[in-house]
Formats: sequence, structure tokens, C-alpha cells
Amino acid sequence: MNDSQFSAQVLDQPQSQVAVIEMHGDINILAEAKLNAAYTQAAASDPARILLNFSNVEYINSTGIALIVALLARARKEHRAVTASGLSDHYREVFEITRLADFMTITTDETSAVTGAMPTNAPQEPRGV
Amino acid sequence: MTLMTLKRESAPSLLVEFDVASEPGNEREAMQRVAKAVGPLGLSGARLERLKTAVAEATMNAIEHGNQNRPELPVQIRVTAAGHELRVSITDQGGSRPMTEPETPDLEAKLQGLQQPRGWGLFLIRNMVDELDTSSDAQHHTITLTLHLDEEAAHE
Repeated sequence: MNDSQFSAQVLDQPQSQVAVIEMHGDINILAEAKLNAAYTQAAASDPARILLNFSNVEYINSTGIALIVALLARARKEHRAVTASGLSDHYREVFEITRLADFMTITTDETSAVTGAMPTNAPQEPRGV
Repeated sequence: MTLMTLKRESAPSLLVEFDVASEPGNEREAMQRVAKAVGPLGLSGARLERLKTAVAEATMNAIEHGNQNRPELPVQIRVTAAGHELRVSITDQGGSRPMTEPETPDLEAKLQGLQQPRGWGLFLIRNMVDELDTSSDAQHHTITLTLHLDEEAAHE
């Protein structure tokens, strides 16, 4: 299996009104279908916030940036906030240069991002994409 | 009285030279091979990551726009160091062609759906390296990325 192949897992936390998209691999043009499908699944529970977890993402190219821009545009149209967690220092810089950081919250880890939104003891229901 | 300053530049040393086939995804190989070649230069982690991103984006540009994703057309990559400059040249077979992306992508316009989400490649390159130059002849188009190695401390 190609370790760089993109995959996404959606974790719903309905009591905190946060849907988490945990991503693995490279975000490039090959990630488009799975990332879009993950967002659709995440939005199905009508969360107030979408949390993108980049902890296991090693590489994001400019096409990947475009996919994140498109995802952010969908979220904004649906009045959902977006948080990014687990970005490396380098990609945090890229998010700042591209101004993505101006339109989403950047945090260091998923736990603080979720608990910062609203505490919850609800069980997580992972759905693979 | 006329004063002149003469600067002697050391001859560039070739760190690595290689080709990659023009297939989407091969920019990753280019990025990794360049990173390996510049290892002895001791770039900081942050500068190395910036260089890798710039190399990957320039190679993607060559693959997609220069060589039209044709695997039989190679992208040539050449890394040299001279004095306080590191240069990476990425050459495709696309001949003379203009750089088509706008200077700074308008994120707000893209978020409002007024522009396509794409168009970040050249913008990223310009923000990742100290100099970006292009040259071309009838057959080849070259992007040259330059890092000023003596500015390492200023960047951190």
C-alpha cells in the first residue's frame, strides 16, 4: 500500500456540534474525491464546526491548497466554522501566507480544538472514507 | 574618478542533476532528491521545507504546463551551489510560455466563488525562495530558484 495515498475518516461528536475529519497521506489532486466525500459526510449531521485534523498529513501541494479552499468555501456557505489542527510548522506558515489562517482557527491538537468548542462525553462513531 | 567593485564568484559546484518523467506525483521524487542533495549544506529545517515546497511546485508546473503531463518528456532538475547561493533549475520542454498565474491569489474572491480555487503554485514558489527567475528558448523553459545561504539566520 502507498503510504502517501490519501484517506479520511469522519468522527461525529454531535453533543459538541463538531465533526472531525481525520486525514492521512498526501493532499493533492488524487485526494479530491475522498476529501469532498468526507466533507459531505461530516456536514450530514449539521455540525456548527468542521475540524480538519492534519496530524497524519505529510504533504500538501498547491492543488491540495485549492481543495482546502474549496472545502472552506462550502463550509462558509453553510455557515459552519472550520478549525485546522495538527499542522506542521511549515504548513502553518503556508496557511498564513495563503491567508487560509485568516478564515479558519488553527490549533495545535484535536483534543483542545474539540474541547474548546464544547465539552462532550458522547461516543465517537468513526466512518471511514 | 571612477570606482569599480569587482566580485569574484566561485565556480558553481554541481550537487545533483537528474530527470523525472512528466507524470503527476513525480514532483515528490524531485523534492526528495533535491532535499537529499542539499543535506550537506546544513539548511535549517524551516528553510529546507520551504525549498522542498518550491521545488515540488516548480516541478509540478513543468510537468503540467510545460510538458503537458506527457511521460515521455522529462523534467530536468539541476542543483548547484556557489559561494553563498544555492540554485535549483527546473527545465521542461515547453519552450517560451508566459507565467499565467496572477501575482497574488485572491482568497476572498475564491471563497466567494468569484474565482477558481486553484492558482497557488507560483505564489507559493515566490514566497518560499529568495529569487525566482525564468528563461526560455524555442524548446525549453527553465525556472531557477535561488536561496541566499548567508541569509539563513535572517530567515529564522
